[in-house]
Amino acid sequence: MQVDLDKEFTLPGSVTQGWMFLQNIPGVASCMPGAEITDEIDDSNYKGKVKAKIGPATMAFNGDIVIKNVDPEQKTLHMIGKGQDTKGTSSATMDLTAWIIDGEDGKSVLKGQAAVIVTGKAASLGGRMMTQVADQILNQFGKNFANNVAAMGDSEAADEAKEALAEQPKELNGLAFAWSVFIGWIKSLFNKKATS
Amino acid sequence: MGEAIDKKDREAALQGMGCSRKRKEDARFVQGTGRYTDDIKLPGMLHADMVRSPYAHARIKSINKDEALALPGVIAVLTAEDLKPLSLHWMPTLAGDVQAVLADEKVHFQYQEVAVVIAEDRYIAADAVDLVQVEYEELPPLIDPHKALAPDAPILREDLVGKMEGAHSVRKHDNHIFNWQAGEKEATARVFQHADVVVSQDMYYHRVHPCPLETCGSVASFDKVNGHLTVYLTSQAPHVVRTVVSMLSGIPESKVRIVSPDIGGGFGNKVGIYPGYVCAIVASIVLGVPVKWVEDRMENLSTTAFARDYHMTGEIAADKDGRIKALRVNVLADHGAFDACADPSKFPAGLMHICTGSYDVPVAHVNVDGVYTNKAPGGVAYRCSFRVTEAVYVIERTMDVLAQKLNIDKAEIRRRNFVRPEQFPYDTCLGWQLDSGDYHTALDKVLYAVDYRALRKEQEEKRARGELMGIGLVTFTEIVGAGPSRNCDILGVGMFDSAEIRVHPTGSVMARMGTITQGQGHQTTYAQIIASELGIASDDISIEEGDTDTAPYGLGTYGSRSTPVGGAATAVAARKIKAKAKKIAAHLLEVSENDLDWDVDRFKVKGVPGQEKTMKEIAWAAYNDVPEGMEPGLEAVDYYDPPNFTYPYGVYLCVVDIDKDTGETSVRRFYALDDCGTRINPMIIEGQIHGGLNEGFAVAMGQELPFDKQGNLLGNTLMDYFVPTFVETPHWETDYTVTPSPHHPIGAKGVAESPHVGSIPCFTSAIVDAFAHLGVTHMDMPHNAYRVWQQIQELGITE
Repeated sequence: MQVDLDKEFTLPGSVTQGWMFLQNIPGVASCMPGAEITDEIDDSNYKGKVKAKIGPATMAFNGDIVIKNVDPEQKTLHMIGKGQDTKGTSSATMDLTAWIIDGEDGKSVLKGQAAVIVTGKAASLGGRMMTQVADQILNQFGKNFANNVAAMGDSEAADEAKEALAEQPKELNGLAFAWSVFIGWIKSLFNKKATS
Repeated sequence: MGEAIDKKDREAALQGMGCSRKRKEDARFVQGTGRYTDDIKLPGMLHADMVRSPYAHARIKSINKDEALALPGVIAVLTAEDLKPLSLHWMPTLAGDVQAVLADEKVHFQYQEVAVVIAEDRYIAADAVDLVQVEYEELPPLIDPHKALAPDAPILREDLVGKMEGAHSVRKHDNHIFNWQAGEKEATARVFQHADVVVSQDMYYHRVHPCPLETCGSVASFDKVNGHLTVYLTSQAPHVVRTVVSMLSGIPESKVRIVSPDIGGGFGNKVGIYPGYVCAIVASIVLGVPVKWVEDRMENLSTTAFARDYHMTGEIAADKDGRIKALRVNVLADHGAFDACADPSKFPAGLMHICTGSYDVPVAHVNVDGVYTNKAPGGVAYRCSFRVTEAVYVIERTMDVLAQKLNIDKAEIRRRNFVRPEQFPYDTCLGWQLDSGDYHTALDKVLYAVDYRALRKEQEEKRARGELMGIGLVTFTEIVGAGPSRNCDILGVGMFDSAEIRVHPTGSVMARMGTITQGQGHQTTYAQIIASELGIASDDISIEEGDTDTAPYGLGTYGSRSTPVGGAATAVAARKIKAKAKKIAAHLLEVSENDLDWDVDRFKVKGVPGQEKTMKEIAWAAYNDVPEGMEPGLEAVDYYDPPNFTYPYGVYLCVVDIDKDTGETSVRRFYALDDCGTRINPMIIEGQIHGGLNEGFAVAMGQELPFDKQGNLLGNTLMDYFVPTFVETPHWETDYTVTPSPHHPIGAKGVAESPHVGSIPCFTSAIVDAFAHLGVTHMDMPHNAYRVWQQIQELGITE
């Protein structure tokens, strides 16, 4: 099951600030809901885990992250994450390219292209929701990323961002997430109709 | 007059053939006292559960059992390495291939068995499955069979690399299984070159699964003291399983007992031998205690015998009046990772060459290539073991396309091409001999019953208003009752079947057969055959099947073979008894055998009223007063090797209305006329037909096992897999004609497959017909609302 995603998020800081944070791999990983870096092997190899709880099912993925390329000129990061759930019934890989460009009003924009491939039970059981789930995860990621960039300063806005980050759920969880997926799906139905 | 009434009463009391006798099986089923494999609980029994691959194609780098073994209650974790010393990590399939019992170094399909956990209870086993750590290296999967034979295709079966001599033909690629052909290639091509009209239609008969109510399972119990192995198994062919188990394990066949208890639906899904059975047996032999393995629904849908997966092209050459001059069929068969079909050895594509259907086809050619892909093995199941469903689909679809091209009504084009009644027995150009039929009468009866002309008129009016209404028509001929041992065997054993009948001194009967009922109602219908043959009331006849220690050897129940083969054996065995009974009666009445007439339930002396002996009296005498030189007792065995298959047929008509905005199809009418020869129990036939139509509806309208590019199976839960309930099921109208089989002892032909085989192309025919005026010639199944809606969008016919 392959899902291709194309996203962009406006960041409340400059291109330099955005790029600075993008190179902080554990920081970037922590923007993924439920994800964390557990081991830093070297500059381009990390071990991490993702825990997701949807309804009654908990899936914990352990995996490796490999930084394929960091290009300061283009402010582009290319990484591949690969993991298997601890029960051995599913696996996922994500090939992600992210880069920072100038935005309006001194802000910047984080752009990302990701190909997510899921195999096993997660694909069999969750296949039809995969696009929406991945989309929501990335939306959450974008919010967290933006907050991290905002939190870089000392301003009031930075404090708010820090607070927001502290409050973010530590795992991909529950009803609120399911609800946002559902809403996303409903919206997508209407979007399709509007564009077709 | 009084005598006639008496005779009628006596006949009625027998509840013999032709009587809608209530099913004897149902009392226990409706009271919840059926005994299925999972109901069997033996002292000290352990439970098995499978570790399965999340990948379709991967190399196994390591398997770590430590954590699983540390879990309290876990007895053992077995992998291919553990089975290797016993040479049981691979097993032969019924199709001449081998299949991994537990993945040996590589996994070849998603959900393939990688390790088996044996534990004290089912829950511990399931928990331990999660604790077995398997490290995989993913390999590129081969999912699309059209890419299987490409030079750069990933090679699946490393065990077969370089072995170009396959079980059925030379292999032209490492992913190639066989090429099989029937008919005359050149002669067919010549006709095509010069024909007035040629039509060609590609079609995909998708991968489906019969999804029986009860999943597959087994309880193996090895007695270390006397070396006996007993296996309770969900099997449609217990005797064949006994032979295979003996061959694999080295235990003499006399010490292997296979018991098929009550079976909750088979439909071909329970013909094969699955890794779970083998693992339970091995575990029981090693541990010396009973071991149970029962799969869950996902395992059933993902790994046990699927059906179809044929990519077909049907081509007809015809004259301008629509008379067929030649037929050509080309098939790419997706067999999955191992060739585990259960076809007769000679026919790797089953009886696909019945694809000339009900038509007088002068010359034909069929070409089938079987290939490996990273999908579960199987391929022969679902109310049609031998690819007859595919054959009927391709000919019936292509006939519709021809009718459309020539602008001839689809009923008329069939009538023009039917084998005529006087042509029977009819030798088809592909080598079968159709035993009997009257297709014209059947077609006329259906067209009259539904008022076909009025339907066409209504359709014309609706089309003018922009509404979508479709009329489907199918006139199929089936081939069932495998089969004559000259062309049918499984693992070298001829496909005969057997019956053993014992008449007790008091005139009741115990009969055992080599077949096994899974819903067909054998306990009811076999008794009716014996009742009519022997004049003993059905209720006094007990039928027993499925225990290899007691029943005579038979090839089992699938492919509608029980009545054509087992039923024939039953009738012939009964006739042997009757012949002996006649001798005893002559002895008791002190007359010559020639002076006796049979009268329902007794022998009468010709012309001497009152001089008679009932079967009951004869049975008693068989144990104390037989003619000199005759051995006492009254029993017989028959192993029946049929001289030919039987060829039931039918005419089905379907009317659908399609909602243009949603693509939703409503089946307004479905009229099914079947001719299965002599009818043993009309009520059971009706039930079989309703069941088969329901399954046909399921396949045509929703069921599928779809795979994504990575080889993930996306339809293996009942969330996705369509099983029609009372809500979706259309109303069925049934009808019949009776054309007995001339070579069958009682003229019966078999019926269970017909409604499945016949209804599926009929649904497609109806759906396509709704769009035919817009130039559509074919739409692939399943015809769910989304796919039909896509067709509507493509045509741009919404407001």
